[in-house]
Amino acid sequence: MPVTPHLPRFADLDSAPGRRPVLRAAGAAMALAAAGCDVPPEEWGHPLHARPRGVAEEHASYATVLELEGIGRGVIVRTRAGHPIKIEGNPDHPGSLGATDPFLEAAVLSLHDPARSRRPRQVGRPAREPASAALAALRGEGLRLLTGPVTSPTMARLIAAVLQAYPDARWHQWSALAADNAQAGARIAFGEPLTVLAEPAGARCVLALGGGLLDPGPDQIRLAQGWAEARRRGRASGSLPVLIAAECSPGLTGARADRRLALPPAGIEALARGVAAELGLPVQGVHPEAGAVAAALRRAGSGALVVAGREQPPAVHALAFAITQALGGPQRLLPPVMAQPEPCLTALHTLVEEMAAGAVQRLLILDANPVYDAPADLDFAALLGRVPVSVHLGLHVDETALACILHLPMAHPLESWGDSRAADGTVALRQPASVKRVAEALSAEDVLAELAGLPERGQALLRATWPTLDDAAWQAALEAGVLPGSAPPPRELALRDTLELGPAAEGAPLVASFAADPHLWDGRFASEAWLQELPRPLTKQAWGNATLVAPADAARLGLEDGDVARLTVAGRSLEAPVLVLPGQAEGVVTLPLGGGRRAAGDIPSAVGFDANRLRAATAPWAAPLEIAPAGRKAALVRAAWRHPADARDPPPARSITPAEAFPPLPPQPSLYPDWSYLGRAWGMVVDLDACIGCNACSIACQAENNTPVVGPEEVARGREMHWLRVDFHVEAGGTGAFQPVPCMHCEKAPCEVVCPVNATVHDHEGLNLMVYPRCIGTRTCSNNCPYKVRRFNWSAYTRQPGAVPVRNPDVPLRPRGVIEKCTYCQHRIAAARATADREGRELRDGEVRTACQNACPTRAIAFGDLHDPASAVARARREGRNYALLGELGTRPRTTYLARLRPSEEGA
Amino acid sequence: MSLPGRALRLLTLLAAGSLLVRRHAPAHAPGELPANEVAAIPLQPRFGWRFTASLGAAALGVLLLGYAVVGLLLQGTGLWGTNIPFVWGFDLINYIWWIGIANAASLFAVILVLRRHGLRTAVNRFAEAAALAAIAAAALYPILHLGRPWLFYWVLPYPATFQVWPQFRSTLVWDLWGIMAHVLVTGLFWYIGLIPDLATMRDRAVLRGRLRSARLYGLFALGWRGSVIHWARHEAAYRLVAALVLPMLVSAQTIVALEFASAVVPGWHQARLPLHVVATGVPSGLGVVLALAALLRRTLGLQQLIDDADMHLLGRLMAAASLACLVLYADEAFTAWMEETPTQRGMAARILGLYAPLWWGGLLLTALVPQALWLRSCRTGLAAPMLIGLGAAAGVWLDRFALVAGGLLHDHLPSTGPAYGPSLPEWTLLLGTAGLFAFALLLFARFVPVVSMYETRHEESEAEAP
Repeated sequence: MPVTPHLPRFADLDSAPGRRPVLRAAGAAMALAAAGCDVPPEEWGHPLHARPRGVAEEHASYATVLELEGIGRGVIVRTRAGHPIKIEGNPDHPGSLGATDPFLEAAVLSLHDPARSRRPRQVGRPAREPASAALAALRGEGLRLLTGPVTSPTMARLIAAVLQAYPDARWHQWSALAADNAQAGARIAFGEPLTVLAEPAGARCVLALGGGLLDPGPDQIRLAQGWAEARRRGRASGSLPVLIAAECSPGLTGARADRRLALPPAGIEALARGVAAELGLPVQGVHPEAGAVAAALRRAGSGALVVAGREQPPAVHALAFAITQALGGPQRLLPPVMAQPEPCLTALHTLVEEMAAGAVQRLLILDANPVYDAPADLDFAALLGRVPVSVHLGLHVDETALACILHLPMAHPLESWGDSRAADGTVALRQPASVKRVAEALSAEDVLAELAGLPERGQALLRATWPTLDDAAWQAALEAGVLPGSAPPPRELALRDTLELGPAAEGAPLVASFAADPHLWDGRFASEAWLQELPRPLTKQAWGNATLVAPADAARLGLEDGDVARLTVAGRSLEAPVLVLPGQAEGVVTLPLGGGRRAAGDIPSAVGFDANRLRAATAPWAAPLEIAPAGRKAALVRAAWRHPADARDPPPARSITPAEAFPPLPPQPSLYPDWSYLGRAWGMVVDLDACIGCNACSIACQAENNTPVVGPEEVARGREMHWLRVDFHVEAGGTGAFQPVPCMHCEKAPCEVVCPVNATVHDHEGLNLMVYPRCIGTRTCSNNCPYKVRRFNWSAYTRQPGAVPVRNPDVPLRPRGVIEKCTYCQHRIAAARATADREGRELRDGEVRTACQNACPTRAIAFGDLHDPASAVARARREGRNYALLGELGTRPRTTYLARLRPSEEGA
Repeated sequence: MSLPGRALRLLTLLAAGSLLVRRHAPAHAPGELPANEVAAIPLQPRFGWRFTASLGAAALGVLLLGYAVVGLLLQGTGLWGTNIPFVWGFDLINYIWWIGIANAASLFAVILVLRRHGLRTAVNRFAEAAALAAIAAAALYPILHLGRPWLFYWVLPYPATFQVWPQFRSTLVWDLWGIMAHVLVTGLFWYIGLIPDLATMRDRAVLRGRLRSARLYGLFALGWRGSVIHWARHEAAYRLVAALVLPMLVSAQTIVALEFASAVVPGWHQARLPLHVVATGVPSGLGVVLALAALLRRTLGLQQLIDDADMHLLGRLMAAASLACLVLYADEAFTAWMEETPTQRGMAARILGLYAPLWWGGLLLTALVPQALWLRSCRTGLAAPMLIGLGAAAGVWLDRFALVAGGLLHDHLPSTGPAYGPSLPEWTLLLGTAGLFAFALLLFARFVPVVSMYETRHEESEAEAP
């Protein structure tokens, strides 16, 4: 018989309540309160640094893995009382190497999203029956599974089990931005499905055809870190690697290129063919630039690497692999990472044909959103309506959920068990790192197990995939976040004698180029407010997308920034705002995918336009386009973080040749006495030569410091709150320099002397800190900050409806009317200091890592004690290319920069 | 009591204040008015519909101010058009502008008192009253512009539990002292000058049998009996306070200017800024005094007291001040040209950038148009002095706008973000403070003698003396 807590009424007690009855009453009240707490999850993951195992500790970190396009990136999840508060990279995982990207950082936000789907739905209403009833309806003939790209061995095993249980069942994969063309390219070049892994760390000359090196994507962290490593080696040896980029639309790769060619899609393919022909491959082709590019690659010899972007056709991928292979360049051939390497577009096409033929009786869609992102000509939504039983499992009630008959809430990756392969095939285990926030949520694995009639769930299901691991090895794998030795050995394969590239792509006067959105990807991140508000790396546009048009085309068509244009591709048309972007190839109009989601949680549905409506399965990446002004204006929300590179002299983001060094600044007089530091003096050095402008630091800072999201109207008013902005100084030709600007923590801080109430002060280790409770909001400090890094809470951002639901308890929330800014992650310093004090030792170099530093894929940020001559930051400061931003003002900033190295002559 | 509650109570008080003066009716016959009859004006039971209408409009303005303040307290400074880097907008623009008006008006009054100028009898009471009303309007802004206005007193050095003191190096702290001293001294100056007249008012009220008014005037007359010792002490105190006002007027304006001049912003960081702000503030204050003088002598029929000679003197003073402004504008351009590159570019951005029309408008209205006052005909009418005077005040406002917002157009690091533009709540607040200014002046005209009676008597007796 269940015991119900009994709360004594005070009438029951003696007239003068004694100590015991009062305590009894209090005890019962506490028991009641405790009974209302979160029910502990059935199974916990195994935290890294908490004892005892298996329970939700106050502080714990979990090694787990998150996927993008099926590719796993290992992360360490920091939790507080069972709630994930921050994602860090897992240094042991080959896909993250200790760093993160904006997508990974936003995972805690999607976990806590109040708009997540919470209960099963049946034709648009909360379902009466439990999820098992929905799954029971799937048992039978004509079953089809539709998933995203799958690398997970467990998912593959479960899908195989389902296919075995239902002999006429079929499995299809779909993702709007799948790496179909790379797979097809590998097949052309080597004759069989392969994963070709570029390793830019060993490169001396990289040719990037349509991005593919530094651009956002599942492998960005590894590639960018490799490229930064190549530059590091180049700096040490005195000969820098060369990056040549050919791209349609300015991207991160092109921005950092030594030589950038703005070419239309057909031009990129022509260049690839021309370079291959110059290098003696069995290919026909000419291009005016091919000779110079081929010469640069030939000079690099076995350091030559050609990579191709996701959007490039199979032929370009094949040529990239072939050229690198022919020159013996740094790339690895691996057995395919995908569980079933088939092009997603073909798979979806097959499914759609079967649906049209009425062969699909039951359709289970696992974490895919084809109603939104399938090419428009397939008319997926209409065909879905003809399927008698359609079940969708997803985090949100999205477009597909609304079109399916049944919808089941999906467990977030941070709430469930699973596994995933990295780009190099290394397996990482996914484990719950959170209290289950949605009670009825199911993981895809559990759904498949239910369907296949397997008894195990959760951890047992995962473990059954890896039967050879004993308990100790299992624990070790969960703690490390990777399965050691699970990466497949590289394969030795020769190039095929003939490359069947097919006919060369034909150009058109005006071409639409479909591309991934740097922050929304294919639209799956549209509900993440952090990513929506983070200004895009190159356009600095936030909250929405725009058609990117070259200045010459815009002038010809009479279009300006913010004009709405009518775009027509193969008879389908839509209206979208135009953003005129210098560096865009003439004759190319870039349409970013991922905008205009109609059902994406709480995010206003009118954010951006949906380019999928123009996309055809026959020409998914480039198609002839007509564009005409629609005669009205739309507001583009852009942050003021983009400037011409020569706007100031000396330029804020400086460059230098390897032989030069900046002269030290002359002694700067000050009216005020110098500070004396007895202990440490914190400082930061940002290496502009390594920075690729990926924005990971900016969003990591936002996640770590509870920086509020203010929404599109406020960003349009110039009130974005990011403590760390990434300025982009654009050079002619579309290249440029990225410059992360956090607080400089000036020694002679101009902000400190003007605050009337002493709310911004210098601490004993040189931090320039804000005392939030003391601030009365005169904003004088911002006026006197030459770097303009201070942010003001114009409204009660942290408490407004729709405010970010996840908060780091180490960092206070700022009320309305208070200035805030970068603190050098002062709470992390305090925590490390306390740990060192407790252990009776000095702080070690590298013990304190700021959030931005930890997130940076290229390790561009060094932080530490300037008084310790052996510290990384002190060493970086002694480099000849160290300079202080606006140092001539006499602010003596603690944050300094290492200048970019100018491209060597070879590149030109 | 919660903040909205407090604001509401304030609003009620203001509304009650406006009801107090709802006594109107036919205008007294304008025209010749014996000098000693100035006192009769406040004691008239009825004041005319024009006055009542004006007072009603001003009271509406005060209500609007209450509305703007309550909205601001509830919603925060997010209501304004400010952003990063344009953190200051109407708050500082209007603050400097009102202070400029107040300062120039008091400066004018003080000079008259200290030089024992004949004009003082005519206009210095007004000038003082205008100064006081303007300073009241100005003093609102530094508090309301705060992110958390209810904590404004943290700028005061008081022994707080945590022993946190203000940052005495901050120009904002200096500004607090500047504005506090200004309110205090301007108030004293106005009040001390008023004491003998208050006593006269008391006596006349007694004669007319209006005892309640007599008691009220008597309270503020501080027991003045008009003995020789009283007169001697009054003279000494009045001149002493006048002397006190003089340096402070310069210092108060200078401190406000230092808030900008001491910042690292290139467009602001100029040593000449205090001089510019002090000197360009003069035409705005004089302009308001000129406009008021023209208005009052016409509507209250005080032509005899504020005669044409006074208007000529005032007009020529105004023209001279605006000539000084012209010199300063030339100096501004010249200094910027001589400065280092960032300052040059900052100045160029102010003169040619987004807010260029404001800068040029300021130049036109404060330095060029008032030159017309050198012409005799422009000084005596109603329209010309009023338009030129108020135009100068508006011109200085434009100049302040071009300084506060335009100065930030060019900074050390490039920025291309949205610029500053005032929002509706900011306009409401400005209109509200203008209402407060007008309301205070109208009440002043209603309840205390607009022209100094004792000084007029003094002049008359001097004239009668052999």
